[in-house]
Amino acid sequence: MRKPSISIGLNIFIATMGIVSVILLLTSLVFLAVFSQTLDDVVESQSREINKQIVMNFEGYINSVIETANYIQFASFNLDAKDDAARLTELYRTNADMKKDVVAIFLFDTNGQPLIGPMLDFALADSVASLPWFSLARDLKEIFHFSATGKSSIAGDRDEGVISVSKSIEYTMNGLVSDGVLLIELNDGSITDLARKTNLGEGGHLLILDDRDSLLYSSETGPGPMTAASYPLARSLYLGGLRAEIDRTDMYLYANTLLHTRWRIVTVSNVDEINGAMRRLSGILVAIFAVAVAVSAAVAGIISLRVSRPVTQLRRVMRRIEEGDFSVPVEVSGQKEIVLLAHSFSSMVQKIQELMARLVAEQREKRKTELRALQNQINPHFLYNTLDSIVWLAENQRTDDVITTVVALARLFRISISKGENFIPVQDEIAHVRNYLTIQTIRYQGKFTYELELQPAMADLKVMKLILQPLVENAIQHGVGDADGHIAISGSINGDSMEFRVSNTGYGIPDSKIAEMYETMRGGAEHPSVGMRNVYQRLKLYYGEQSDITISSVQDESTTITIYIPLDSQEGRQP
Amino acid sequence: MKSIRARSATMILAGICAWLSATACSREESTVGLFLYNEADPYIREFAKQIMSESGTTFTPVQYDAGNSQLIQNEQLESMLAKQPALVIINPVDRLSSHSIVRKLQAAGIPGIFFNREPLAADLALWEKSYYVGARAEQSGQLQAQLVMQLFGGDPVNLNGYDRNGDGRIQAIILKGEQGHQDAEIRTREVLRSFESAGFFVEVLALEIANWNRDEAYAKMEYLLRDYRRRVELVVSNNDAMALGAISMMRQAGMFQDTNHNGRIDRADELWIPVVGIDGLQEAEESIAEGYLYGTVKNDSLSMAKAIVELSGILLGHIDPATAKFPPEDGTYVWIDYRPFISKE
Repeated sequence: MRKPSISIGLNIFIATMGIVSVILLLTSLVFLAVFSQTLDDVVESQSREINKQIVMNFEGYINSVIETANYIQFASFNLDAKDDAARLTELYRTNADMKKDVVAIFLFDTNGQPLIGPMLDFALADSVASLPWFSLARDLKEIFHFSATGKSSIAGDRDEGVISVSKSIEYTMNGLVSDGVLLIELNDGSITDLARKTNLGEGGHLLILDDRDSLLYSSETGPGPMTAASYPLARSLYLGGLRAEIDRTDMYLYANTLLHTRWRIVTVSNVDEINGAMRRLSGILVAIFAVAVAVSAAVAGIISLRVSRPVTQLRRVMRRIEEGDFSVPVEVSGQKEIVLLAHSFSSMVQKIQELMARLVAEQREKRKTELRALQNQINPHFLYNTLDSIVWLAENQRTDDVITTVVALARLFRISISKGENFIPVQDEIAHVRNYLTIQTIRYQGKFTYELELQPAMADLKVMKLILQPLVENAIQHGVGDADGHIAISGSINGDSMEFRVSNTGYGIPDSKIAEMYETMRGGAEHPSVGMRNVYQRLKLYYGEQSDITISSVQDESTTITIYIPLDSQEGRQP
Repeated sequence: MKSIRARSATMILAGICAWLSATACSREESTVGLFLYNEADPYIREFAKQIMSESGTTFTPVQYDAGNSQLIQNEQLESMLAKQPALVIINPVDRLSSHSIVRKLQAAGIPGIFFNREPLAADLALWEKSYYVGARAEQSGQLQAQLVMQLFGGDPVNLNGYDRNGDGRIQAIILKGEQGHQDAEIRTREVLRSFESAGFFVEVLALEIANWNRDEAYAKMEYLLRDYRRRVELVVSNNDAMALGAISMMRQAGMFQDTNHNGRIDRADELWIPVVGIDGLQEAEESIAEGYLYGTVKNDSLSMAKAIVELSGILLGHIDPATAKFPPEDGTYVWIDYRPFISKE
């Protein structure tokens, strides 16, 4: 037989839970992945838009500066720096004054000599040509050069930090067009003002890097630990975005170019909200998962119980029947199939019960017939011996004894037959034994004595016939030796049973022998005592389990065999 | 049963192989990005068309239009570079932003061909696989000056009849594209410098900014003519569109009349004065044919497109560099010459 696999209920439960868990888990994971991707995209594009907005602000500002520069360039070309010096100087001055972030506007010739503009800082007057913004503009003419050196204005009366915007331009002087360098100094606070309007979240900031990756500006206020972390990242980020963790916060760096410059603006936006949102969502998903698993566990449990309970019930009933108890009612409630199965099983059991009952009845009848034949048998040796002793008595002229023996024999047979009745009054049974003993005492010629004692109350009670004679026969055979033997037969009512005792003197029977005798009685080998076994079997057959025969023996003294017959036995009362 | 299983297994395997080879195939088809500064610019639109038709079957560039915004172009570049293209062809919106773009390309190891707007030499030098295909802006101004000098007889001391007032000087109005614009600056500067170095004395009556725009040139020409109608002998425009706008206004003001009654407008007419442009627009050529526009300098976009496609082919490994018709100078620049264009007369 194959090892039984797990039960139906467990099977259903595991399958249901497996499917539910897998589906839930997959759904959750897919949802989480999609959501996280979307969230990332949204937040990153938001950061990009902010970056673009910032860059656009800067571009707007730079464009306005360049517009001013173009205007001045145009004027410098069209107005003669000598003839219209006053007008041109005025134009430079008003343009510088008009815009609050323009510190000063200068025009230098190619040697760095000032042509137009405010008075120079005395210390710088002769070294303008060596300043970086000047050489840049002189060497590369077409473009505007933005230099944020952190230096202060070169104007004598101004000392704020400036961003120098320089460009090579053509100017007219004395009717001749020459190259010169235009310088517009911007208050570097203007950048700070532009950056301040930005919203980059907690810890977010913006960096401006020049073409050498030097940090021109960081919007971070205070000591700048964020910049220390973001600057190295920004250095290698030329364009586009990058996710990074700075100070245990998720940041999104986005680099863009700044129009008319070779600079780039890197915004560092706080995108930690993504993590918060993901945590919240994960929490919700875990909760949903737990609830769903619990609910499906309950449902699966109920279903599996409903399916498996009738099966279990049926199995329990079957086991009882397997053990031989057919009395258990096959009652199963639940699924239709199982109930139908139970019904089928029930009718099968009924059929088996009927068959078994019939078989038992048939067996019993057969047994009774057999035993009846047995009980009617009188030991042929006894008859032969008795007839032999009658002959012997007759030869010796012992007429009385012959008469006694023949009468006893006749009575014996009459009782034996008892008109075919199985049950006879106790007194008849005793009379039967007495007749038998009468014959045997004559035959054994006083080698044993006997006594018969019967409680008068039981005289008319019915008892199965011929149960004492075989025992007495045994007692004579085994208990009567050369010495005087004594056989005592008694009948009494003890509680709810009749007791018949047959005891004889003699050597007694050893315990091992007694056990053997019980064994024989209960259906073992026929030998040695056919009579006693016969009595026992008949008792059991007619009176049932409550009837019994016991053997007790005292070594070298006596042996007693007791028959117990229940008083309330149905068959005991009815013939 | 077993054979069916085996067969289905081989079928699945074959499917996977096919899929793999298909993806391998699609990877083999090199991704090339073509980034345009502004498709609204007809010149660029034309240019892009030429590049697309020249590239033919060799490769098909994915075209992006930045709409004249460097920010948009940056974004387009970023998303394209994320796909690891084999090559990018860029017409930058802002030439200075090429600095960051070149560095980005260098970091990604992707070759880049720039055109139309020239990055700084220092920036191109950052990445050995960055190239520029274009014309030397100064050449356009120089050629423009040559056309004019040719018309005036070629001798600075002895100007011919086109020096209407005979003062030995050429009175000119200059229409500048855009103040501060690289090309406008260079073209203006070079044309004047060429006159100067050739010994021609050109008196600039006025230098007006018309932002490359025909209508703006037309409008500005109105008050320029009010002041200089009688004196002007030459109109130099940074591009054809402004030149055509100027001609419209000049015709409206009564110039370009068939004064010699030969049935057509030509240089021989008294009220004809030379107007020169740059670009070689279709309309400009028509105007030249009709006798109005004296000449233009053609930006040879077709040759540029061919050079770009050839260089792309080399970079993609389709073309042997030894057979190149447009080999990069110093390994970086492919210069395409401007071509002067005037009516044959």
